[in-house]
Amino acid sequence: MKFNKFGQMEIIGLVVIVILISLGMLFMAVFALSSDTSKKTFTRKGLAASTVSGILKLNVGKECLGQGSPQLGGDILEDCAMYFDFKEDSSSSIYQCRGKHSCVFFRALSYEILNGTLGAQEKKYEFTARLIEQKGATPKDLIEIIKNKGGCPKAAITNQDSSKPFPLQTNAGLVEVELKICD
Amino acid sequence: MYSLILKDINIKMKLERKKQQKSKMHKIHNFGTPESSKKFLGVFELSQSRKGQVQMTETIAVLFIFFILIVFGISLFYQYSKSSFQAQQEELLGKKAIEITLKTLFIPELMCTKGDAEAEDNCFDMMKVRHAVDVFGENNLTYFDTFSFSKISLSEIYPGNETYVLYDFPKNDWENTEKTFFIIAMKDEVKGEGQPYFGIGRLDIEVYS
Repeated sequence: MKFNKFGQMEIIGLVVIVILISLGMLFMAVFALSSDTSKKTFTRKGLAASTVSGILKLNVGKECLGQGSPQLGGDILEDCAMYFDFKEDSSSSIYQCRGKHSCVFFRALSYEILNGTLGAQEKKYEFTARLIEQKGATPKDLIEIIKNKGGCPKAAITNQDSSKPFPLQTNAGLVEVELKICD
Repeated sequence: MYSLILKDINIKMKLERKKQQKSKMHKIHNFGTPESSKKFLGVFELSQSRKGQVQMTETIAVLFIFFILIVFGISLFYQYSKSSFQAQQEELLGKKAIEITLKTLFIPELMCTKGDAEAEDNCFDMMKVRHAVDVFGENNLTYFDTFSFSKISLSEIYPGNETYVLYDFPKNDWENTEKTFFIIAMKDEVKGEGQPYFGIGRLDIEVYS
């Protein structure tokens, strides 16, 4: 009887040790998992929206000499949509900023701005401008997609925010500009 | 006389037999000779004390492991609470940075307006900005309630590359800083010909704690 009780006590001791070790392991696991908390200092959504809004409002008078002070969104992009089919001929568009077709100029300037802001902060992004000629028609890419660090993967839904398409009604159809930022 | 001698021999023999029987009994019970039984008792006593020593060592070992586990647990808990405290501090600082950024973006002293119409989002009026540099600089303490310990600067990205330090109130013994940035439109009524001229800039905010 006495020996039996001693054995039980030892088993209880072992159980206590096992519980303590498993608790320690649990703590370590929690500690390891929660240590890398990436700091989301600002909402990507707001940043994406403000960047697109800023780009579209931009006046580019100094690049298009003798052509007033066109806006990158309202004038240049509309011109790009209107003369998209004659993209190869740089003189086909109304605006000749930096001596380029409006679509080429729009892409070049957008790339410079995005690269100097989001790119400098090592952010992954994807900038698109699409033309929807008619309702239900497949959208056409007005510019080659501007990407940084490979852009945003299509499959990823988390860690990705979009400015939502900025619509712009033109004579050629509806132009949608969108910026996606992902981490 | 002869009978007396026989009696004496008989008694001696009896005693001898008894002795022999006793020694036999010892052998049967594995006690061996009386000398060896003495040795066995000594070993028994020795094994008893050794068993106690083993038990003591066992108890000490268990206590040692138990205390090691307790120390290990305490140190883990300490590290965990320390890191969670730091994470909380950083989270608070991040929140503060966002709060200050939002306050800066929507402060009437800088925001674009269109007369009585609604104010424009994500836009700074450059005429206001140029004056705000002086106003914020001269009234640092007045704006401390709004911007706390921070540095707010606006860098023009296009068309120019000017930088305006709007507010600078660093903490002397700061331990941590949090930097945020935002892209905004910069509306300049002076540059445009009848129409406002829009540039683009980066608003940098650094919060100290």
